[in-house]
This record gives sequence, C-alpha cells and structure tokens, in this order.
Amino acid sequence: MLEVSDLRVSYSGIEVVHGVSLSVAAGECVALIGANGAGKSSTLKAICGLVSASGGSITFEGRDITRASGHAIVRAGITMCPEGRQVFPQMSVIQNLRMGAYIRTDAEQEADLSRMMDMFPILRERQSQAAGKLSGGEQEMLAIARALMARPRICLFDEPSLGLAPKIVAGVFETLARIKAMGVTILLVEQNSMMALGLADRAYLFEAGRIVMEGAAKDLKNHPDVMRAYLGH
Amino acid sequence: MLIEILQQTINGLAIGGVYVLIALGLTTVFGILGIAHFAHGSISMFGGYLTFFLVTAQGLPVLAAIPLALLAGILLGLLVEILAYRPVRNANHINAFIVALGLTMMVEGLNLQLFGHEQVVIPTGLSKVFRLGGITVPELRLYVILAAILLVVAMMIFVERTKTGQAIRAVAENRDAAILMGVNVKTIPLIVFSMSTALGVAAGIMVGALFAIAPGIGEGLVVKGFAVLILGGLGSFPGAILGGTVLGITESIAAGFISSAYKDVIAFVVMILVLLFRPQGLLGRAP
Repeated sequence: MLEVSDLRVSYSGIEVVHGVSLSVAAGECVALIGANGAGKSSTLKAICGLVSASGGSITFEGRDITRASGHAIVRAGITMCPEGRQVFPQMSVIQNLRMGAYIRTDAEQEADLSRMMDMFPILRERQSQAAGKLSGGEQEMLAIARALMARPRICLFDEPSLGLAPKIVAGVFETLARIKAMGVTILLVEQNSMMALGLADRAYLFEAGRIVMEGAAKDLKNHPDVMRAYLGH
Repeated sequence: MLIEILQQTINGLAIGGVYVLIALGLTTVFGILGIAHFAHGSISMFGGYLTFFLVTAQGLPVLAAIPLALLAGILLGLLVEILAYRPVRNANHINAFIVALGLTMMVEGLNLQLFGHEQVVIPTGLSKVFRLGGITVPELRLYVILAAILLVVAMMIFVERTKTGQAIRAVAENRDAAILMGVNVKTIPLIVFSMSTALGVAAGIMVGALFAIAPGIGEGLVVKGFAVLILGGLGSFPGAILGGTVLGITESIAAGFISSAYKDVIAFVVMILVLLFRPQGLLGRAP
C-alpha cells in the first residue's frame, strides 16, 4: 500500500534521514521506534508532504506522491494525527471534527460525526467547547477522531503519547488498538517502544536517521539489543 | 444633551463602519499571513477613485459603478498577492514589511497618475434627510451604515458557515494542521486578499461618498485601521467590529462636543486608556 524507498530528508541542507526504505501493507499496523531525533517524525512528515523529500521516492497504492502537495496527499487517502495534537484551539470540538472531513463531499459526514462521538463520549460532552480548553488527553482523542473523520486508507500517528500522563497513555493505546481492530491501516511513530511494539504487527528501529533493524514487532520486542537500548531491560 | 449624544453616535456609526471594514480586511491578512498590509488604505482609495471615475467620466449609475469597483478590488487583491507578497511568503518578515511599504508608495503614485491630485467626492444623488425626534439622519449615512452592517454580516457568515471560511480559520490557527486536513494552503492567501481588498474598496467608496478622496487619505485610513485592530484585540473579528465602532463614535462625539481639530487626539487618548487597563485590547485574549 505504502512504499518508501531510499528516502532522504534535509533541513537547511543538513540531512536528517539518510536513505530510509519501508513499506506498509493494507490492514497492517507498523511502528517506527527509536530515540528522539532518530528521523522517525521527519519520515512521517515527508510522507504527508509537510516537508519535502530531498531524495528517494514515496508511492501510495502505486502512485508516486514524493513531490505531491500536502492537500493532494490527504485526498489520496493518507491522514496524520500530528505530534502535539495540533487541534484548532479557537474552534469548537465539533468544528475541529468537521475540519477533519474537509476533503469529503459525501452525505455520510454527519453519521460519521455521530460515530466519532459514540467512540469518544467525552467529545460529545465537550462538543461546543473550544478545543484549546480541553485537557491534553482529550485533545489527543479529538486529534485521533479528527484524523478518522477523513476516512483515511492509512492513518499516520506521530508520537500520540507525547506529554501525556501514564494513565492517559494507556487510554490512547487502547483507542489505537480499537482503530486497528476496525481494519484501519496504521503507521505509528512512538518513543514509548514497549507500547508501540505491543500494538504493532511489524516495526522498524531507527537510529541517527537510518533503519538499523526491522521485523515482526514481537521479535523486536524480545531482541536483546532492543530490550537493552529501548525497553529498559 | 441626550439628543446631541445620539446624533453624534449615529454620525459616528457611519465612519465607524468604514473603520470596521478597513480593520476586518487588515486583520484577515495579518491573522492568516502575518503581513502588516500598509497598502490597504491606498488600495481602498483606488476603489473610491475608480467609482468616482466610472460615475463621472463614464456616466455609469452609482449602483452599477460600485459592483464594478468591488470586482476590480477582487482582481487587484489577487494581483497584490501573486506579484507582491507571494514571492516573499517564506522569506524573513522584514521582506514582507518592505514590500508593504513599497506597495503603498506604488499605489499612491498610481492613484495620482490615473486620477490626479484633486480632491473628489463621489456623487450619489442621495440628499434626503430623515428626522426622528430631534435626530437627523442623512439618507447617505443611513445607507453607509446599512451597507457596512450587510458586508460585516456577509463576511461573518462566510467565515463561520462555509467550508472555505472554515479553511481560512484553520490556516490562521494552525497552518500545518490545516494542510493535514487537506486544505490547499496556496489558494487561501488568494481568497483572503481578494476578500480583504473588496472590503477595503467598499470602505474607500464610503469615504468618497461621505467625505472626499484625496492623496494621502488612504495612509491615514490604514493607520486608523491598525489602531482599531489594537483597540479591538489583534486577530479578533468581533474585536475589529467593536474597535471600529468605538473609534468612530468616540471621534464623532469628540468632534461634536469639543472640536473636530482634536477628534483624532481624543480618539487615540481613549485608545491608550483602554490599552492601559486591557493591554490585549477590548476583545483580545490575554497572552
């Protein structure tokens, strides 16, 4: 479904992603794990068109999207739930959710809105409230629901647990598990490697802008190097 | 005394309407693109001059000249975005600042070249005066107030209720998140500039009909527009509406009760007093 080949990303001429190749199949949940600054989020941003790839290629369902604009990539079926939630703070919860369906023209948007409210009851309670007034955990739920409102073929999650209390993080991962069970294809970037490997089918381990290990998530979870470096064992 | 206050309030609402339209155009551009669009006042005057030209030199009725001038404003807004601001969009803010100043001089020069240096008044033929109690309301002022209200309501509906309006808000609040929603952020500045310039042209037509258009008036108008933004609260649409109305009424009451020579001084003193107690402006959010 998604093929990233020899991807390179640079900021102001300094390369931070050095030839990353990865793939995600339909229905799969793939995690990108590794330390802060390893190039995971830059890879996601390049896939979404938020930063330009300085080399390599990205194809989605056979179509080259390497140089496509961000809005064209969303229309192709890729959405991202960004790091730090990035809700529209002055818009209400319901307006944020409607923005999630911005590209859609079908008649089922209101039904989906209702489904999201059922899935995240707190959003129904707070639907008229400004999104900027929600707690961090509530904003994460809103950001996830907003991303799903686009009915994406693949949903990218960038550090969904960042800055959240452990109890809230557990709730976020329960939600991600529910989304996975719904059949949504997921590409997840997460520093909390234990949680990410617990959820994912496959994973890639990033180090200094390169993939140094890949495989089934359960294998990586039990790999001595990964356990020592990232899982605290 | 009460009648006189009401009278000056009505007068102030007309000029306040002009300030609101100017400020809404400025706040939209500033809020979304971070550009202090100083040329906005001169472009407003271009709209006023163009309407005058269409009415006097081409013999068009005012009601036909106004939509044409608004259309010209929309096209001019597109040109300004594409030719002046787009090339510096990703550059340092000082570049857009310099472009804005240069554009002001260019548009002022263009106005002089095309329309001359004479002071002109747009002939509207609206000379009736309505009387209610002791208050007199010239027909023209009433139409200016109603037109300003209509434009403000139309803009609010556009921004609040339409998909494009929501996209504009989204870009203003978080550009990257708007891209992730599928908003084409390259078209948003075009929409914003055409909308903002059309509002500015409407304000220029009102000034030309109510008072007069002359070289330099646009620059004064844009200073008032920015004063309204600060008074109402930067980036706040309701703030721009309240700020413009307050400034217009304050000026009018100052002119009526003290002296028209001091109306600007008094209006700015009121603005300073408001900012002393509410540094974020009347409806701005505290940092």
